[in-house]
Amino acid sequence: MIQSAKISRRNFIRLGSAAAGVASITSNRLVAMEQNLGGTDFSATSGVERQSVPYTCMTCNIEDGGIAYVENGRVVKLEGNMDHANTRGKLCAKGNSGFLHIYDPDRIMTPLVRTGKRGEGKWKRISYDEATTLLAEKLRKVIDRANSEHDLKILNEMVFKWGRDRTGGAVSRFMHALGSNAMLNHTNVCESSKKVGLEPTWGPDIESCDWANTKYILNFGSNILETAYFMNPNAQRCVDGVVDNKAKIVSFDVRLSNTAGWSDEWFAPFPGTDGAIALAMNHVILNEGLADEKFITDWTNVTVDQLKEHLKPYTPEFAEQESGMKAKDIRRIAREFATTKPATTFSYRGPCKHVYGSYQEAAINMLNVITGNVEIKGGYCLPRGMGWPQPQPVPPAGKVASAMAAPPEYPLASHAVSTHAPYMVKKGQAKVSIWMSYYDNPVYTYPSSHVWKDMLEDESLIPFLVSFSPYMSETTELSDLIIPDVTYLERHDPESMPSGLYPCLSIRQPVIKPLGGTQEFRQTLIDVIQKVDPDGSLGMKQYFAFKSPEEWMRAHMDNIPGLKEEGGWDFMKKKGVWPIYGKVDPVTAKIVDKNGNEVDPGYGLHKSEISTLDMAGAVVGDDNLIRKDGNAIGVHVDGKNYKGFGGETPKLNLFKESYKKYGFNPLPTYKRLPSREKKANELVLTTYKVNVHTQSRTASLKYLAELYHKNPAWINPKTASARGIKDGELIRVSSSLGHIVTRAHITEGIHPDVMAISTACGHSAYGRLAQLKHKQADAEWALGGDPDIINNVWWDDKGVHPNPIIKLQVDPIGGSQGWYDTVVTVEKAQDGDQYGDVNVSVEKSLQDYEETLRFAYNGDMHRENHKEVDIDWDNLPKPTMKSGGH
Amino acid sequence: MISANQQHSEGGQQTSANVTTLIDELEAQAGLYRLCGRLLESEIDSPLLTMLRGELREPLAEAGVIANTSFIEDSEDVVLERLAEEYTGLLIAPGAAMPYASVFETGRMFQEPADRAEKAYRAAGWTFRSHMSGEFPDHLGVMLSFHAIQLQAQADARRAGDNETGDTIAERSTRFLIEQLGNWAPGWCHMAAKASYEPFYQQLLTLVEQNLWADLSAVGSNETLKKLTELNRRKPPKLDYDADFRKASGL
Repeated sequence: MIQSAKISRRNFIRLGSAAAGVASITSNRLVAMEQNLGGTDFSATSGVERQSVPYTCMTCNIEDGGIAYVENGRVVKLEGNMDHANTRGKLCAKGNSGFLHIYDPDRIMTPLVRTGKRGEGKWKRISYDEATTLLAEKLRKVIDRANSEHDLKILNEMVFKWGRDRTGGAVSRFMHALGSNAMLNHTNVCESSKKVGLEPTWGPDIESCDWANTKYILNFGSNILETAYFMNPNAQRCVDGVVDNKAKIVSFDVRLSNTAGWSDEWFAPFPGTDGAIALAMNHVILNEGLADEKFITDWTNVTVDQLKEHLKPYTPEFAEQESGMKAKDIRRIAREFATTKPATTFSYRGPCKHVYGSYQEAAINMLNVITGNVEIKGGYCLPRGMGWPQPQPVPPAGKVASAMAAPPEYPLASHAVSTHAPYMVKKGQAKVSIWMSYYDNPVYTYPSSHVWKDMLEDESLIPFLVSFSPYMSETTELSDLIIPDVTYLERHDPESMPSGLYPCLSIRQPVIKPLGGTQEFRQTLIDVIQKVDPDGSLGMKQYFAFKSPEEWMRAHMDNIPGLKEEGGWDFMKKKGVWPIYGKVDPVTAKIVDKNGNEVDPGYGLHKSEISTLDMAGAVVGDDNLIRKDGNAIGVHVDGKNYKGFGGETPKLNLFKESYKKYGFNPLPTYKRLPSREKKANELVLTTYKVNVHTQSRTASLKYLAELYHKNPAWINPKTASARGIKDGELIRVSSSLGHIVTRAHITEGIHPDVMAISTACGHSAYGRLAQLKHKQADAEWALGGDPDIINNVWWDDKGVHPNPIIKLQVDPIGGSQGWYDTVVTVEKAQDGDQYGDVNVSVEKSLQDYEETLRFAYNGDMHRENHKEVDIDWDNLPKPTMKSGGH
Repeated sequence: MISANQQHSEGGQQTSANVTTLIDELEAQAGLYRLCGRLLESEIDSPLLTMLRGELREPLAEAGVIANTSFIEDSEDVVLERLAEEYTGLLIAPGAAMPYASVFETGRMFQEPADRAEKAYRAAGWTFRSHMSGEFPDHLGVMLSFHAIQLQAQADARRAGDNETGDTIAERSTRFLIEQLGNWAPGWCHMAAKASYEPFYQQLLTLVEQNLWADLSAVGSNETLKKLTELNRRKPPKLDYDADFRKASGL
């Protein structure tokens, strides 16, 4: 018999305490789930290992690396690709749900040709062969007319409008092969003014903050953790910085987003005044001697004194008057930012989606420059992307520029101004024969969305409308012909996004064969061109001499130095991403090499030295710019010759010559917006994205729709009380365009002068779930028998879409739509108002178009608003046509 | 008269019915399923419309599919266009009553029911081949056509005096009817008939529904029929959600 020793409670505790001190005593079998994401997965029923296929996500535009698990030929699960150094094996809720797109019974699975009136919803199915033949015939007619009339501008009547073009150049190849430059992107309803605020200064694209190593973050108008550009990688690294590295984060947002709520401090300035705050902080930093004056002298094209003089008016008191943020807080935060090293700002839509948003972005950028935080560990770094070669031969651009693709009134808007297209068409300033729509839904996503519907419904303006969408969106339902693309999990694309500090290439490949014999867009382009130019006599066929989409991809990937040696396209098919920098450390989540050391992403990209050979014949000027053959090729600093940055000159161009040329202030400045002059009883309407939805394409996904499906208007308790509005009540929100009827959500988390309504809700198309059709019609048939939707969709509110009452008004510099500049009145709903009512005027929207043109560089309001700019106002450059870009 | 399927009803006894009558019955059933399968499998084309307006008009009318004046008198092009439009709106375009067992059962296209159907086809020496994109093996029209093939094969075997093969096919056919069609197709036809704007398709779908129930009644036990009736109603239990919990998150 075993004698048990008598153990007292005290003994237990002593033993436990002793064991707790020995970290090595632990289970070897239990592993935290997040540390065990390793690219393998098993069937829950059979236990058999599932096939894993790498891909690049495209539920939204962040392009995270993913692995699709396939069982019995079906995608059953998605997760992050551990080989992707920027997304580190993680997907967001949207990314995890993306495979539902494939099997959605409301997906368009076959080409459809319209049989009834436009928009009536009557269709006849045809084959892909018939559909591509029909489109090719229509295109050929335009080409033949251009040739017979010897008028190449007719070719621009073939218009291609996209929302997301992640084809790696396929669309441009297609349109240029046809001879058309009429390509319209979506970027001016997105962040174009942010880009144009930065590009002249340092080159393409937006900052890539070294969040994980920073100590201080100023977040201007960005919901970093949920929705901002590069949300997944940025959110991960921002959490690393704030939690692990104890960085302080200060957020400026009119709305208490989850990032703002998570921040150490949240300030809610008046909309469109971030620039005033940033300028005031610059003012404080420079005037209190906190700036990195050597960096300014070495690396910028301005002097410290010049900046001080420019910033004189922008005192904290001035900024307080404009923004409502206390001057003492502005001073305090400015000092903290300047004296905490390293530090960085991040900004996204909040500051830039205003009229004059480019100025606001430039003012924020300047904070990093004057504190010397650019391109250092833990600082504000350049974007890091990679290019890939285009298969040869590449078609030249069309010979005639398209005014619609790049309105000449906006010469600085390098990402174009697509919002103006319907107004130009309706005014006869642009003619359309064929309108092609790809990954685009302007009838839902654009400001004054009713104007797009009005244009696309009109067959005299748009004689032939083609959509390549696999979903019946508000735009696609107006089409004459639908040639459905496949989902992003069934097609090929090359990819590279500057989503983190490790530049990489990635791919999309069909993780399953296109469902039910559907055809990927890339193949459709090949087929159409082969039919437009069957014998090659038009010279187009040579650009599409690919036997298959995969062969096209090989032509992209097989000859990239470095990748080629590792297997080119075959390597990409196997791994999905290149290069592979290392492994994700299961504890720290850092990218580590085989010895466990963190892989240095490399900082100081601007300090790449110019070779002796390239310096031959170069001279260093008084401005320490290195010039050769009349071109600035680098910057001479501390005896070394550096390549510098990629903007107007190799320096950081705080002074933008390009701005001045057109009468804009070359230095970051602040312009009071019309919305700042609103009456006391008015509010500024803002919109926002939510973490589980894209702007318009995910309301049909069950997982996501259950999480978020209605979008009541956020209103401050004081504001609501003054109007007698109670939480959940119907309200009428009116702008100069008309009104919508929605519900109030009363919360302290919103500026008292602001109303916020999210995107992603209130669809009138995009499948039955997005519209809650089964709640409106006979449930027995309306859902095609989906028992899950009929019985388990417990919500009966699909939300109300705010875009119809949002005015068209763009930044005359970067072209961005001023999403947050619409002034509204809010009141309790009136008798007869119904939830979801929308009543707006096309005519009033047309007036907005004329009004916003007055702010363009050749408009009368431009001069009025820029009296400080020293330029010959009577001899500004004439508007000239140029090709569009993205 | 003895139904072909009655020979293989669950727990039922073989009868000594007249073989010729049985074969005639099987062939008639095969013909009906073949016709219905073809009418649902794809759009009506010119030769088929000619038959529907001609030799099939009267028998169809007797079965409840009564051609209206416009169906008979309008020009062929007009009728074909109208029927194609209705076919697309009813069975293909987004918002349609998707004629797939997968959608009915799971709410998604091309799920396990499609595998089951394909497996049944292969077991009988057939395979599915789509003609247009977006077609799957568990399309109702294809499944009805397959059932017709099995009935015809059974008839052929019995005509050749090979009752053993006939019995094997009959057993397989009955299983397919109960397990793959019986659990959704009648209910789906009932819903789709309501969704149709075109009398021809309304009546056709009603005919298919009634015929399926008639055949199922002939082969299924009361317990099976009760279960199938429930499945066709598609009323799984609702999730027990309290939607108000969302309020706590400010939404």
